[in-house]
Amino acid sequence: MSTIELNHLTFTYPERSFSLDVEDEHFADPMVAIVGQNGAGKSTLFKLLTGLLTPQTGVIKIDGEDFNDLKPVEKLLKVGITFQNPDDQLFNPTVQQEVEWSVAQVMDDHDTITRRALEALKRVGLDDKTAENPYDLSLSERKLLSVATVLAVDPAIYLFDEPMMSLDWESRRKLTAIFHQLADSGHQVVTITHDMDWVAAEFESVYVMEHGKFGFAGSPRDLFSDHELVQRVGLLPPRIMAVAESLGDSRTYLSVNDYWQKNRDI
Amino acid sequence: MVEDKRIVIENLTTRYPGTEQPQLRQINAEVHTGQVVGIIGNSHSGKSTLCRVLAGVIPKIVSAEIEGDWHMLGRRVSDGWRAYNAMTGVVLQNPAGQLSGLADTVADEIAFDLINQGMAEGLIQKRVVEVATQMGLIEQLNLRPESLSGGQIQRLAIATAIAANPAVLIMDDPTSEMDPLGRRQFFQWLAQVKETNVFIVTSEIDDLCEVGDVVWVLNEGQMVAQGRPGEVFNHLAADWQIPAPTIQQLAQKMDWHLADGRYPVNDAELKEARYVHN
Repeated sequence: MSTIELNHLTFTYPERSFSLDVEDEHFADPMVAIVGQNGAGKSTLFKLLTGLLTPQTGVIKIDGEDFNDLKPVEKLLKVGITFQNPDDQLFNPTVQQEVEWSVAQVMDDHDTITRRALEALKRVGLDDKTAENPYDLSLSERKLLSVATVLAVDPAIYLFDEPMMSLDWESRRKLTAIFHQLADSGHQVVTITHDMDWVAAEFESVYVMEHGKFGFAGSPRDLFSDHELVQRVGLLPPRIMAVAESLGDSRTYLSVNDYWQKNRDI
Repeated sequence: MVEDKRIVIENLTTRYPGTEQPQLRQINAEVHTGQVVGIIGNSHSGKSTLCRVLAGVIPKIVSAEIEGDWHMLGRRVSDGWRAYNAMTGVVLQNPAGQLSGLADTVADEIAFDLINQGMAEGLIQKRVVEVATQMGLIEQLNLRPESLSGGQIQRLAIATAIAANPAVLIMDDPTSEMDPLGRRQFFQWLAQVKETNVFIVTSEIDDLCEVGDVVWVLNEGQMVAQGRPGEVFNHLAADWQIPAPTIQQLAQKMDWHLADGRYPVNDAELKEARYVHN
């Protein structure tokens, strides 16, 4: 599995008070969630990880190599990103051409480009909409299409910015399954999310960003057990904890199943 | 004349030009003043189309073939757009797209409709502060609207929609870009809204079960269920692909049920099930 290392990374926007300042951080798990309030620096970090922004100091290493030393095609094969708003990255006249365009950035063979595009569309369940205009799809489908554009390139590391936002339930289940398939097949998946129920139920590794720095790294159980930290960084615990709390139980639960396993004998 | 306090939809079918299948099929529903109606369903279920119909965007701005009828508080779009439009506050799926683009500040954006209505300057300022406080935007009043985050723009769109005290509020997924605290504050605000008819498309079914009076389930353009949240969620069909609320999932696992055999779906029902009947 590929790994991301951040060493003494700093970035400041001109004319804005925000600055990102990461001492040493290493994303080692196959599925990593990055959480934190709006403005904590999560999206800035992703822009640095994809080369859209360049750090003022410090190094991003992927598999030990300085990311900024890689050629453009090598970067695309190392790291692929799905943006929060799919409309930021869709511009081709048909669904199939949209995905083929992405693959064509990293290879030339037409047959392979088409094959990869169709495989990726099948994976997200859009294989019956190949000829449609992306803007005739629902918002959920446009998000899945933007995921397909990255799946077809098949980078080592997948970055997702708020993948669950605006998705209907069917698409959420589909995308969660894809996340696990990617992790199981040796890819790394790093996602920004506000969905704490999803983090608690599906992830083993969570990083909290606060004012441009990492304020916590560990398991969801450790995070949500630290009530003071959760409150300070403006998060909410998973819904099941609020439900338990209303029954007078302030222990840490990550899912309904977790609650049931610990309380089935009462 | 007796004032009509109902919102009625009768045999409503709509089809956008150039599409084969209707987006809404034979919808029938009736709600009464002050109810919060949650509209849920997967992609292509017709949720957004129904919001556009209720808002009058269909047929006034977006054309569609329409069969059937709907009227709100005794008014139809065909009776006069000004009066119908003045009755509604609307938050559409892309909130940034509905801001005027003419306001230099968040305060001006919220005041936009009030100025158009000819409200007195002093009253406008008071109302702007009031709704900005309700939507947690008081510190942003002097900022440019385009400098706000996605979640803040959604709150601004809601603030502009409620500024003129509309009788009917229609919101299509208004919390999708809010962070967890923003979402919680929004639903806390919605819980205390009274005497306004609220239609809200949302996937936040746990919150909906706390604040909603009625839930409408749409599936492929049809209204497949409508009723109180506890009734609807206890009778979900598998092919709707809608999950049960967390409390109901927990109660099913733990076998905590209400006197009538249903599983609880909200906090009050959970406590009743846990402490009274089990």
